[in-house]
Amino acid sequence: MRRMKWLALVAALALVFAACGGDDDTGGSDTTGAGGEPGTTAAAGEPVTLRVLIHSQEPMTTWVQDFSTQFESDNPGVTVDVAVVGAGDLATVTQTRLSANDVDVIDMFGFANPVQDYMGGATPPAWQTLIDAGLLLDITDEPWVANYDTASIEQAGTFNGRVYSVNLGRTVYGGMFVNNDLLASVGVEVPTTWSELVSVCDAVKAAGNQCMTNGGQDGWPVFVGTYGMLGALFPDQAGLVEALYTGEMTWDDPAMADWWDRTKVYAQDMLEPGTTGLAHDAATFRYAAGDVAFLPTGAWQAPNLEGDGGATFDWTYVPFPGSDDAADNQNLFGKYDQGWAIAANSPNVEVAKAYVAAFSDPDTYQEFVTTTGFIPTQATATLDTKLGQALAPYLENFQVGFEQYWVQPAGAGQWANGSQAASWFVPFNEWDDAAALATQAQADLQAALDELQ
Amino acid sequence: MTIPRDDAPEMIVPALDAEPPVVERVGKGFPWGKVISYVVLSLFALLYLAPLFMLVNASFKPLSEFFRDPIGLASGINFDNYTKAWELANFPRYLLNSAIYTAIATAVFVFTTLFVAFPISRGIIKGGGAILTLYVVALFLPPALIPQFQLILNLGLYNTRVGYIMLFLVNAIGMIIVVNYIKSIPKELDESAAVDGCGYFRFVWSIVLPLIRPAIATVTVLHAIGIWNELILPTIYLTNSDLYPITRGLIVFQGQYGSDWPALASAVLMLMLPMLVLFMFLQRYIIGGLTSGAVKG
Amino acid sequence: MAISLVKKNYLFGQGRKRWVPWLLLLPGFGLYLLIAVGPSLATAVYSFTDASGVRGAPVNWIGFENYDEFLFRGLASRDNLAALQRTLIFMVVVTTVQFGLGLVLALLLNQKLRGRTFFRTLFFIPVILGVVIQGLMWQLFLYPAGGPVAEVFGWFGIQSEFLGGAPTEAFIWVMVVQIWANVGITMMIFLAGMQTIDETLYEAARIDGAGGWNLFKNITWPQLTPAINTNFLLNVIGSLQAWQLFLVLIGYRPGTQVLGYLVFAEGFGQTTGSVSAAFRQGYAAAASIVLFFLVLVLGMSANWIVQRRERKYLG
Repeated sequence: MRRMKWLALVAALALVFAACGGDDDTGGSDTTGAGGEPGTTAAAGEPVTLRVLIHSQEPMTTWVQDFSTQFESDNPGVTVDVAVVGAGDLATVTQTRLSANDVDVIDMFGFANPVQDYMGGATPPAWQTLIDAGLLLDITDEPWVANYDTASIEQAGTFNGRVYSVNLGRTVYGGMFVNNDLLASVGVEVPTTWSELVSVCDAVKAAGNQCMTNGGQDGWPVFVGTYGMLGALFPDQAGLVEALYTGEMTWDDPAMADWWDRTKVYAQDMLEPGTTGLAHDAATFRYAAGDVAFLPTGAWQAPNLEGDGGATFDWTYVPFPGSDDAADNQNLFGKYDQGWAIAANSPNVEVAKAYVAAFSDPDTYQEFVTTTGFIPTQATATLDTKLGQALAPYLENFQVGFEQYWVQPAGAGQWANGSQAASWFVPFNEWDDAAALATQAQADLQAALDELQ
Repeated sequence: MTIPRDDAPEMIVPALDAEPPVVERVGKGFPWGKVISYVVLSLFALLYLAPLFMLVNASFKPLSEFFRDPIGLASGINFDNYTKAWELANFPRYLLNSAIYTAIATAVFVFTTLFVAFPISRGIIKGGGAILTLYVVALFLPPALIPQFQLILNLGLYNTRVGYIMLFLVNAIGMIIVVNYIKSIPKELDESAAVDGCGYFRFVWSIVLPLIRPAIATVTVLHAIGIWNELILPTIYLTNSDLYPITRGLIVFQGQYGSDWPALASAVLMLMLPMLVLFMFLQRYIIGGLTSGAVKG
Repeated sequence: MAISLVKKNYLFGQGRKRWVPWLLLLPGFGLYLLIAVGPSLATAVYSFTDASGVRGAPVNWIGFENYDEFLFRGLASRDNLAALQRTLIFMVVVTTVQFGLGLVLALLLNQKLRGRTFFRTLFFIPVILGVVIQGLMWQLFLYPAGGPVAEVFGWFGIQSEFLGGAPTEAFIWVMVVQIWANVGITMMIFLAGMQTIDETLYEAARIDGAGGWNLFKNITWPQLTPAINTNFLLNVIGSLQAWQLFLVLIGYRPGTQVLGYLVFAEGFGQTTGSVSAAFRQGYAAAASIVLFFLVLVLGMSANWIVQRRERKYLG
C-alpha cells in the first residue's frame, strides 16, 4: 500500500513535467547543459553565435534587440544572443560571464571613477579590474572608433592611453522635467533659481497639485536630480572630489551648508508623500498623470513621457536650479551612459568587431540616438526629439557629475558620500537635522582619510 | 573541536500516515474555546488572503487605473494584463526548469545521503564519527559563494544545468536527520539480514530504505523547498535565460517591467496557479514528509 | 591482514566485500567535500588575499588586512558591526516569534475544527510560492501611496513609508514578511509532533482534574521535545542565513544590511547599485568567515540547549 503511494507520487511528478513540457515550444527535453556552453569556437563560414550583454533600459533594450536581428540578416550564419539583465545585476553578470569567457560584446555601464593618485589605495572600479586582468579587448586601432568624438573616447573609454570602449551617448541627470501646462495654469514661470523653485513649489501646492515626485523605492532616483544642485553650488566637480580627499573642503564646511539645507527641503517639502513606494519607472508614469509640476531625474526618462500612456501635457527639461545665482544653474550635469566593449578572449572577436562597427555606422547610430534620447557622442549625429530641443540651449554646458569622479575610500562609513544626502533625510532614511548629518558625513569620510595618511 | 557523534540532535519519529485522533480540549456548554480559536485563525487567515486578493484585484486593472487607485475594486474583469505578461516572459520554461532542477538534485541528494548516513549511524566504518562531526560543523557554514563560483567555473560547468544542479547535491541538516532516524531501527535487523546472506547494498536499499521512509520524506521535502526557492545562485551561475528557474525569471521580469504592477501581478498569478495545483495534488506527501521524520523521539 | 576501513562489527561479508560501504559512501561524501567543505576552506584562504574574483586579475596575499578593515578600519567597521548586530536581532526576533506563533497556530489547529485543513494549507502556501513571489506580494500589500496596509494605518492616524522609509522600519517589515512566509513550516512540524502524543495521557490527566494550562505544561510541552528541537534549530540556522528577502524587498540600502547580503554585495559588485561597483571577493570572504564564527557560536549554543532539554525530558 505504501509503495503504491510512492508510485503515485512519481507518476504524478512525471505527469506534471509532461504537462509543463507541453507548453515548451522548443521541445524542452534537453536536461543537461544544452544552452550557453562557453567557448564555442567557430571558423569562418560556420554558424557563429555572438553573445551580447546589455542592461535593461527601455527603449534602448528593444532597439538593440531589433538591431541585432538586422545584423543577423545582414550576416548569414551569425546568431546574436542578446542577454538583458537589470542594471543592478550588470556588474555581477559581467564579472561572472567574462571570467567564464561566456560573452563577446559587453555593455560597459559606467566607465568612470578611475582611481586618482591622491586617492591612496582605493579599490579600483570593476572595469579597471577587468582591463588589468586582460579581459577587455584593446580597440584603439579600430577604424570605427574614430566615428566618436574625442572627448567621449578620452573621458569614457580610455585607460592608460589605450581605448577599450566606445561610448554610445551622454545622458543628463542633474535636472528635472517641467510640466509647462501645470505651471501656466497656476500662473508661475519656470524657476531659474533656488528661491524661485521654493516659491513655485508653494504656489503649485497651494493650487492643489504636487510639486515633485520621484522613484524613492529604488533609492538612487531620490538623489540623482540633486547632482545638478551640487553642480550648481560647486561647478568644478572633479576639483570638489579632490578637495574632499585633501581636506581643503569638508562636508561640514560653512560653504556646504546650503547643500545640506536645500537637499532637506527638497526631500521633505518638495517631493510628494508616498514616493518611497514608487520605483523609478513608476514615478514617470505617476508624473505623466499631470498633477505634478516637476520630476527631477535623468533625461533618459523622456522616451517614456513621449510614448504610449505618456504625458498629455507640454513639458521641458531644465537643469536643477540649485543655486540662487541663475548663471550657476546653466550647466547640465550627467554622465556617459552605456558603451560597447569586446571580450579579449572571445572566440568570435571578428564578428564582435563587425557588430560594434555596424552599430557605429553614422546612420545606424543616428537611429539609436533618436530612439533612446541619448545625447550623441558622434559629432555627425543630432538629437532631434522633443528632449533634444529642450536640452539644446544647455548642451554646450554638458559636464560630468560628481558620482563619476567619486571613489569611496576604504574604511569610509556609509554616510561618507554626501552627494546622496537627499536620500538620507526623513522619510527616505532617519536623518532630520541637516547640520548633524553634515557633521556625521564628514566624520564618516574623515575616518577613512585618516587611515590613508 | 570534536563532537561525539551522539551529540547530534535527536529529531526522529515514526510515520504519520493516518490523521491521528484530534485532541478535544473544550468542555461542555457554549464552546467559547472554539469561537476564540476561529476568531484568531480568521484574523490570521486575513493576513494570508488579503495580499492574495490584492494581487488578483490589481491584475484586472489597467495601469492608469492602478496608479489612480491601487486598492479600489477593479472596474471590470479584464485579461489584457495576463496576455501581456504571458507574451513578455517564458514562464512555462522557467517552471519546467525549476521542476527539473528540484527533482534531479533532490533525487541524487537522497540516494547519496542514504549510503553516507547508514554506515555512520551504525558505526560500522572507521572515522564515521569524524565524518558526522564534519556535517554538524557544516550546518553552520555560511554558503561559500565565492570559491564555489571559482570551482564551477574551472570545471567548465558555469551556465549549465549540470553545474547548477551540482550546487544542490549536499545538505548537512538532511544528513543529520537521516543519521538519527536510522538509529531507531533495531540492530537485530542487520544481524538477521546478514545471517540470511543479504548483501550490504541490497540490505540498505531494500530493507533499510523503506523503514526510514518518514525521514527520507522529510529531507526530500526540506531540500526540495530550498532548491525551489533559491534566488541568489541562479543570479550567479545562470545567465542564459533558457536556463532560468522561476525565481530568477520572475525577478528579471520585475526588473524589466517592475512598474507595471498589473502585469507583474498577472505574471505572479499565472505562476502561482500551477504551483498551487501541484501543491494540492502533492499536499499529503509534502506535509506528511515535512513532519513525519522530524518530530519523534 | 589487509587494511580494513570498517570496524569489526561489520556483518556483511569479509575480504574485499568490506570495502563496499566505503565505495557506496564515497559519492555522497566526495560531493560533500567538493561542494561544501572544500569551498568553505577555500573561503578562509581567500579571506587573506585581495582577490577580486575576476579571472586573470592579480591576487596578493595580504594577511589579516581584510579582517582589520572589516572589523576596525574607519567608520566602515561601525556599519559592519551594525550589520552583525542586525543579523543577531533578526535571528532572535524571527526565531522567537516564528516559534511562538507556530506553536499557537498548531495548538489551535490541533482541535476538531471545521476547515482546519483549509487554514493549514493557507498558512503553508507562502513556502510553496517562494521568496520572489512573497516579496512581490508584500511590496504591493505595503504600497505606501494608498495600499491596503497604508489605508488601515491611516484610520489610526499612523503614517508609514514601510519598505522605502527609515531603515529600522524597513527592517521590521522584512522580519514580518520572513515570519509570515515561514511560520507554516514551524506550525506543521509542531502539528505533527502533537499528533503523535498519546491521547490516553491527556485522558488520565483530566481524570486527575488537570486543566488546559496544566495539560499543556505537563504533557504537550515535554512530549513535543523532538518537534521543539527541530524547529528551534531550523529557525536559528535558517534565520541567520536568510537574506534573500532583503534583496527582494529593499535592496542594498544603508542601515538595513545583514551579513549574508553584505558578503554577496561586496563579492559580486552590488554595493553601489550599478555604476562602477568594485569586486572585492577577498574582503567578502573575510566577512563570511566572521559570519561563520558567529553562526558557529550561536548554533552550538542552540545545539547545547537542545541537548539539555533532551536529557531533561527524554532521559
